[in-house]
Amino acid sequence: MILSEMPVIEVKNLSHTYLPGTPLEVVSLKNVNLQLFKNETVGIIGPAGSGKSTLLHHLNGLLRPMHGDVQIKGISVSGWSGDIRVMRQKIGLVFQNPENQLFKQYAGDDVAFGPRNMNLSQKEVRKRVRNAMKMVGLPFSYKDRLTAGLSLGEKRRLALAGVLAMEPQVLVLDEPTASLDPEGRRELLGILSGWRSEGEKAIVIASHNMEDIVDLSSRVYVLVSGKILLHGATREVFSHYDLLVQNSLSVPAAAEVVFKLARRGYSVSTDVLNIEEAAREIKGLFHA
Amino acid sequence: MPEKSEFELFVKLSIGQYMPTGSVIHRLDPRVKLLLGILLIGACISSSSLIALMVLFLAVILGLLLTRVRLRLAFTALRHMIIFLLVLALIQVFAVPQLREGAVVIWHRSIFKVTDRSIISGILLVLRFAVIVLGLSLFSFSTSTTELMHGIEHLLRPFQKIRFPAHELALTVNISIRFLPILIGEAEWLMKAQASRGADFGRGKRNFIRRIRKTLPLFVPLFIISLKHAQNLIEAMESRCYMGGEGRTHLIRLHAELRDYFAFFLSIAVVSAALFLSFAHIDKAVWRWISAQF
Repeated sequence: MILSEMPVIEVKNLSHTYLPGTPLEVVSLKNVNLQLFKNETVGIIGPAGSGKSTLLHHLNGLLRPMHGDVQIKGISVSGWSGDIRVMRQKIGLVFQNPENQLFKQYAGDDVAFGPRNMNLSQKEVRKRVRNAMKMVGLPFSYKDRLTAGLSLGEKRRLALAGVLAMEPQVLVLDEPTASLDPEGRRELLGILSGWRSEGEKAIVIASHNMEDIVDLSSRVYVLVSGKILLHGATREVFSHYDLLVQNSLSVPAAAEVVFKLARRGYSVSTDVLNIEEAAREIKGLFHA
Repeated sequence: MPEKSEFELFVKLSIGQYMPTGSVIHRLDPRVKLLLGILLIGACISSSSLIALMVLFLAVILGLLLTRVRLRLAFTALRHMIIFLLVLALIQVFAVPQLREGAVVIWHRSIFKVTDRSIISGILLVLRFAVIVLGLSLFSFSTSTTELMHGIEHLLRPFQKIRFPAHELALTVNISIRFLPILIGEAEWLMKAQASRGADFGRGKRNFIRRIRKTLPLFVPLFIISLKHAQNLIEAMESRCYMGGEGRTHLIRLHAELRDYFAFFLSIAVVSAALFLSFAHIDKAVWRWISAQF
């Protein structure tokens, strides 16, 4: 990651209030700053109601900034007078439980919804649907299956294909692995890192699952009550065990084991992110 | 001025929104509020006097002030329907023939005729609607759906003797009101998801057919989602042994207090004053008095 490069998405002092001017108004974002560069995956973690979804909806212009600014490739979203759909196609947003939002009768039509809205030729749409379905590991013959007949994991991958078919440069995902079984989760994470490694792509992922974050992202932002509490390299952020736990968050399970060992007085280094490193520390205990 | 998002449907839904401020009006017995609401609508419809309607209008405004909810919010609901109202008023002014008999003609061209009476009836119509809409806002700002449900159930209880399903009716009303914001939230969510995939909701507002075509894909998932919600609700009720209204006791028991009687009789007084003004043809008397002065 070269910092002098221009970020693909830059969020500057973004604030957002829901239902402003009514007794029900809720401040959901406060002075949030975020940068996303090419070829990286950034994780966003935060307790429920911390404003994660609101922040994600700003990244592709679904919500226009009330205060502050969001820039996509240096172009300000609030100042953009052209077709906002261009931005939404560049930044593909995958919602929480996207399988609830499938609405076409046949799987292939649902994947084709995005490309068709881009006024592409029939041939190009077909090509994109084929590619997208291949990317998420669904056979092309699934295009003629009934959407309602697919399993949860298949539906979720289909929804992802629907976004990938627009060939976005950035993928923004809100809780992509929620309510998937471990197998489904592994598959999905594999698909995401495979897509990212194609080059010139970037991913923003919000999750409650710290393992997802560790597996995918190089940097992490911690959002608490609409403010960025912490941000930095994944390893650095997950070294703040106490602060994260205080804010209803956690660290990856492997790291948690080591932190708890350290708390009980065992001499381990808590600089641990994954199972291998945890194993190394625990092994060290036996040698000592 | 920050740009509003095209997806925040909740902002447009100011009518029917409960605003918990805990004011005097909020603490009134929901039965009293229900009865007064019905009374207000009845009085609005049956009085055909500008002065009487003004009295009712002021009474509702006073009520709204007492709720301590910002007045502007009550008027947003009204603002959304003002064009509709004006069209209705125009139709009333031009097209109601019985208002032409024995009235002073002000403007006449071919079949169109405007008389003093038709103008007054147009104004009456707008005012009537305004009072009713503001009255409904007053009610919904200050009454939660649970209170509404208890109110309806208690008021209809006497009719249970003739096997009228009071409890079931109240429950149905409550569920449908309760589900409204949920469905709106889901619709908002679906719109956002589809907009993220290039669907176009913001532009082309004038092209009505295109707008309808764009909203059509919303209905399929929305319908499925609402069926799912209904199913979950049934399961939740069954698992808590819901058996209907029979033998059911209530957590909240309604009992009218002094302030409820006070509010009730004060409002009855205002409404009867308005009705009296209307039936005593006060408008004509005032008009005659004003003309006599000049």
